Amino acid sequence: MYITRKHLPRRAVLKGLGVTVALPLLDAMVPAGTAYAREAPNASARKMRFVAMEMVHGAAGSTAIGATKHLWSPAEDGSHFDLTPTSLAPLEPYRDYLTIVSNMDVRNAEAFTPPEIGGDHFRSAAVFLTQAHPHQTQGSDVKAGISLDQIYAKKFGEDTPIPSMQLCIENVDQAGGCFYGYSCAYTDSISWASDTEPLPMIRDPRAVFDQLFGVGATPEARATRRKKDQSILDWISASVKRLQAGLGPVDRARLDDYLTDVREIERRIQKVEARNSSGEARELPAAPVGVPDSYDEHVKLMFDLQAIAFAADVTRVFAFKLSRDVSNRVFPETGVTTGFHIASHHNDREDRILDLAKINKYHVSLVPYFLEKLKNTPDGDGSLLDNAVLLYGSPMGNPNVHNHKRCPFFVAGHGAGRLKGNLHITAPDGTPMANAMLSVLQTLGADVETFGDATGRLDLNSTASSTVAHA
Amino acid sequence: MPKISSAFLVTAIMTTGLGLSAASGPARRQEPAPKPPAPPAATAPQMSVDEQNKLVSYYCTSCHDDEGKTGGLSLEHFDAAQAVQQAPIAEKMIRKLRAGMMPPAAVKERPDPATAQAFATALEARIDAAAAADPNPGWRPFQRLNRAEYARAVRDMFGIDVDVTAFLPPDSISNGFDNVADAQAFSPALMQGYLRAASRVTSLALGDRDAAASEAHYRVPKTSSQLERVDGAPLGTRGGISVVHVFPADGDYIFRMDLHGNACGFLFGSPAENEQLEVSIDGARQALLRIDPKMADVTDSLTMKTPPLHITAGSHRVTAAFLKRFEGPVNDLIAPISRTLADTQIGVAYGITTLPHLKDLSIVGPQHVTGVSETASRRRIFTCRPATASQETACATQIVKRLATQAFRRPVAHQELEGLMPFYQAGRSERDFDNGVATAIEAILASPQFVFKLEPTPAHKPGTTVRVTDLDLASRLSFFLWAAAPDATLLNLAEQNKLSSPAVLDEQVRRMMVAPEADALSKRFAAQWLRLGDVENMLPDALLYPYYDKSLGDDFVRETELFVDSLVREDRSVLELLTADHTFVNERIAKHYGIPNIVGSDFQRVTVPDNRRGILGQGSILVLTSVADRTSPVMRGKWIMEVLLGSPPPPPPPNVPALEATKGSAGGKLLTVRERMEEHRKNPACASCHRVIDPLGLALENFDPTGKWRIKDNEMPVDAAGVMYDGTKLDGPAGLRSALLKHKDVFLQTFTENLMTYALGRRVEYYDMPTVRAIVRDAARHDYKFSSFISGIVKSGAFQTMKNTAVETAAMER
Repeated sequence: MYITRKHLPRRAVLKGLGVTVALPLLDAMVPAGTAYAREAPNASARKMRFVAMEMVHGAAGSTAIGATKHLWSPAEDGSHFDLTPTSLAPLEPYRDYLTIVSNMDVRNAEAFTPPEIGGDHFRSAAVFLTQAHPHQTQGSDVKAGISLDQIYAKKFGEDTPIPSMQLCIENVDQAGGCFYGYSCAYTDSISWASDTEPLPMIRDPRAVFDQLFGVGATPEARATRRKKDQSILDWISASVKRLQAGLGPVDRARLDDYLTDVREIERRIQKVEARNSSGEARELPAAPVGVPDSYDEHVKLMFDLQAIAFAADVTRVFAFKLSRDVSNRVFPETGVTTGFHIASHHNDREDRILDLAKINKYHVSLVPYFLEKLKNTPDGDGSLLDNAVLLYGSPMGNPNVHNHKRCPFFVAGHGAGRLKGNLHITAPDGTPMANAMLSVLQTLGADVETFGDATGRLDLNSTASSTVAHA
Repeated sequence: MPKISSAFLVTAIMTTGLGLSAASGPARRQEPAPKPPAPPAATAPQMSVDEQNKLVSYYCTSCHDDEGKTGGLSLEHFDAAQAVQQAPIAEKMIRKLRAGMMPPAAVKERPDPATAQAFATALEARIDAAAAADPNPGWRPFQRLNRAEYARAVRDMFGIDVDVTAFLPPDSISNGFDNVADAQAFSPALMQGYLRAASRVTSLALGDRDAAASEAHYRVPKTSSQLERVDGAPLGTRGGISVVHVFPADGDYIFRMDLHGNACGFLFGSPAENEQLEVSIDGARQALLRIDPKMADVTDSLTMKTPPLHITAGSHRVTAAFLKRFEGPVNDLIAPISRTLADTQIGVAYGITTLPHLKDLSIVGPQHVTGVSETASRRRIFTCRPATASQETACATQIVKRLATQAFRRPVAHQELEGLMPFYQAGRSERDFDNGVATAIEAILASPQFVFKLEPTPAHKPGTTVRVTDLDLASRLSFFLWAAAPDATLLNLAEQNKLSSPAVLDEQVRRMMVAPEADALSKRFAAQWLRLGDVENMLPDALLYPYYDKSLGDDFVRETELFVDSLVREDRSVLELLTADHTFVNERIAKHYGIPNIVGSDFQRVTVPDNRRGILGQGSILVLTSVADRTSPVMRGKWIMEVLLGSPPPPPPPNVPALEATKGSAGGKLLTVRERMEEHRKNPACASCHRVIDPLGLALENFDPTGKWRIKDNEMPVDAAGVMYDGTKLDGPAGLRSALLKHKDVFLQTFTENLMTYALGRRVEYYDMPTVRAIVRDAARHDYKFSSFISGIVKSGAFQTMKNTAVETAAMER
């Protein structure tokens, strides 16, 4: 399944082949090999990994009561903030990698005209990573903007076998109309390859696994597969050489191209074999059967796959939609028995707001699992977490009234040294979330002139409450 | 040359493709220049070179000169005597002259039509004569199997349907077709895809004793109504999904079905009591699940699972559908709409009939594999079975030889067989006979001889023309007409070197056109040429057009495919694409078109009223050329120009605001789409192109975005009148048809060019035009029958020969 745009220019693909020597697509090793010869011209440049995670239904901390009780972000700005009362408490062990930005708005998710009133749930997902106002339609003429992860993928995606991947947890509609005049394309996808191309999200971990590691449910099956592939590739090479005899020069050259591809696959297999025989420890999850029943298991499985994908450098960009607007899923681990959407309509009752905060905290508590994995995986002269930018947020603020003010947002990872971490920044009132996202793009090395409704760049390394305006 | 005004230049840039100038003639020069007297109209049967050159310099070079270069073309240095050397330009001129598009209608000084046509004839005669003396058959690199051809090949060899989109990268489209050789790129991803596909197809075809549990997901489109029985489902059911799934092994499978919910997470269609969901395999009920109306996300989720069911390996039809509990008209508070899931909130109220809908079906398994029973595909593969160990190698050789011959599309060479048998040996010694055969099949499917259509030719001096061998000709012929490998008859003829004789070719073409496989011409050629794939992407607004849902769209595509197929099979005239008075409808389409007395979901042939004749009256074309909430005369006009007349309009200038930005009402009454496009007519910068595009589309204004006939648009009467670019008055579909038939040569030529692109697997270039013209001329002698076009292409030099190139051409992207 190919997630990116259809017509990948051949030159670009060849360029990707020749310039970067990617690790085997067929299997992966954890931990990753520390040093491997690369012919890439910027081999010393660290490879930035990026994950954008969307949570829906805002946060309890965006309500009045939630703000006074610090249910989302901590009270103090700067580096000495106390996470204890907040939903972000599970991130305490990783506070050195954490940059929290509070008080930002996602204005483009608001209703701009009377027909759009009420449709917040169905357009918000499209706004989160595009920070653009979606065109209200139930038809096929959808339009929003290009999303953050795709801007990065367009620039660096072709350095890896898979330019980017889009994952989700909830069973989305993927077609037709949702409500309030919005097509489900807006509700289902957070990743937009262009302003008219929402990308499909993969829900089945097995599909992700197959994409990353190829056929074979167990390591033994994959080993057998590799051996078989090797002999088939030998046969193909011999056949091609024989077949070239009767062809004209251009066709011969074309088959030479094909042989190059054959040799590339052979090389990847040999690399895996070499690593396997060297006895390095491998912790590959067994191939998942399909979609797990439990939310917890599903999210952790997706995190596993992302970690290994990064380690093997199969791809460097993930968009991960952790939930879906209007989902009424119950999270038993929280002790709250109300469905998510119903719980988000707290009616300004304190007990219900506290329940919502428990759900927020539960969601955040899944992230350390991922951070731990990334921290323990060496990459270059640091860890994957050092070279990663993980963005977590929601386009909604107070879910009871469906506003998009003071939305939850944090970034984890050091971005190859460009993010200091251990910082809580409270943005000036009315700051667009796009300002922070513009800075994220800059950190990723995919800087753009303008993004969404940004009015400037929000410095992610300082609490000085000023926004650097556009040049 | 007098200075060209900037206003003119702006107009010129915007009308590049058509080279139409602004309405006012004198405004294109700052001061009128003294002109030589107009040359006399040609009276001689053939124009002399001198007369031709005078014609060009008088009528054409005022716009098409070195300074202005209207349409990117300068004719200042055109010399009719050098038409052959300047063939690319000459062919452009011929195309525009024949279509009547040049000189543009607005220009005051123009030659009389007879002279213009005589000029075109003269150019053609010169070029065709040169081509007859020294034909250029063109060249292309070798093709590889694209997705559709790969899937068909697998089906032909093993009888199973495999979803190739999971393995093979999407095909690049070039000139509208997905089999153009030099757009078929290679990449490691492709190589990987072939390997994985080979392994997957083998395991599905033979069964996989080691199959591990996994999930297969089938999604039901949300845009389809689920109130009627779906194709393949048992009678007495409604909605849901029915698919043919290949089970890898005998074992336990769980079927998981997700139902649609409404915004609060409760079951959609919950007021309906006693709804039941049935899971059946090959029509036999395996599970009947009662749907609890109180199902909700909040409590137990909207997922239903069957217990583990034991299913045997192989292809089985799996249906998950609801039992139909009532028939007859529905009498609700509000009229039901076809896109039943357009608003799932509506199921919450009383007085409105809503029923549960299926979201997707997942097949989880196999668990507890007990083996692999005999399947249809296994029987096809194992044409012999060794009774003793000593017979194994002989039997395996027989199987491998047969399958390799079928896959490689020619008798397998001894050396190739020797290369394949070690795979059998390796698999055999690893496990058993079955495994040996499986390993060999995997190698066959990964072979370049299977995935590439290589056409070796003996060594020749570069630049000479070489003939394709008969075996390769057989492949070209079968991929052209059947999108599949050649059958035994073709291979036999090829082996005896008889295939390339014209009489034999004619006979084979006739035979192949009536074979079942010839549906490839409608499903692959016509579907791409007519852009039928776009129907799926168009979703008319659910409330404005409540009678449309995705099933109707799919039916429309089927209708057009059946229609083209009937013309092919009955060998009718190609012009009947526009004029035929029949089509194929099922009950749904018949109701939509207003054709009475058609019942049932099977397609039947019917006669249509005059305004629905031909493809221009068929829902597929009308839907794909509209937008969600209104018709788009511009899209319809563009489609006609591009697809039928081979002359697409240039793209619009940047910063043109969407139609939605114009006012929707004026003076207290609503405006029709036509009236809202007023700017196209008022603004001369727009009018230069839109004068050509719009009338063609407006002639079809009586068809709404779903293809239904209407007489009102926004409560105002539809006005389908207009004037075509050549001055013909248009009024409605009948007028449009006869106007297009006046240019039937252009239409037939466009058809031939498209058919040739598809047949040759390369773009049709200027040097192919003599062949195209010859084919159309020859077809005229046979009443323009389909077979004459197909035969013409098959017998042409371009199809049977190619130029031997020594160096990489520009076409090769490296």
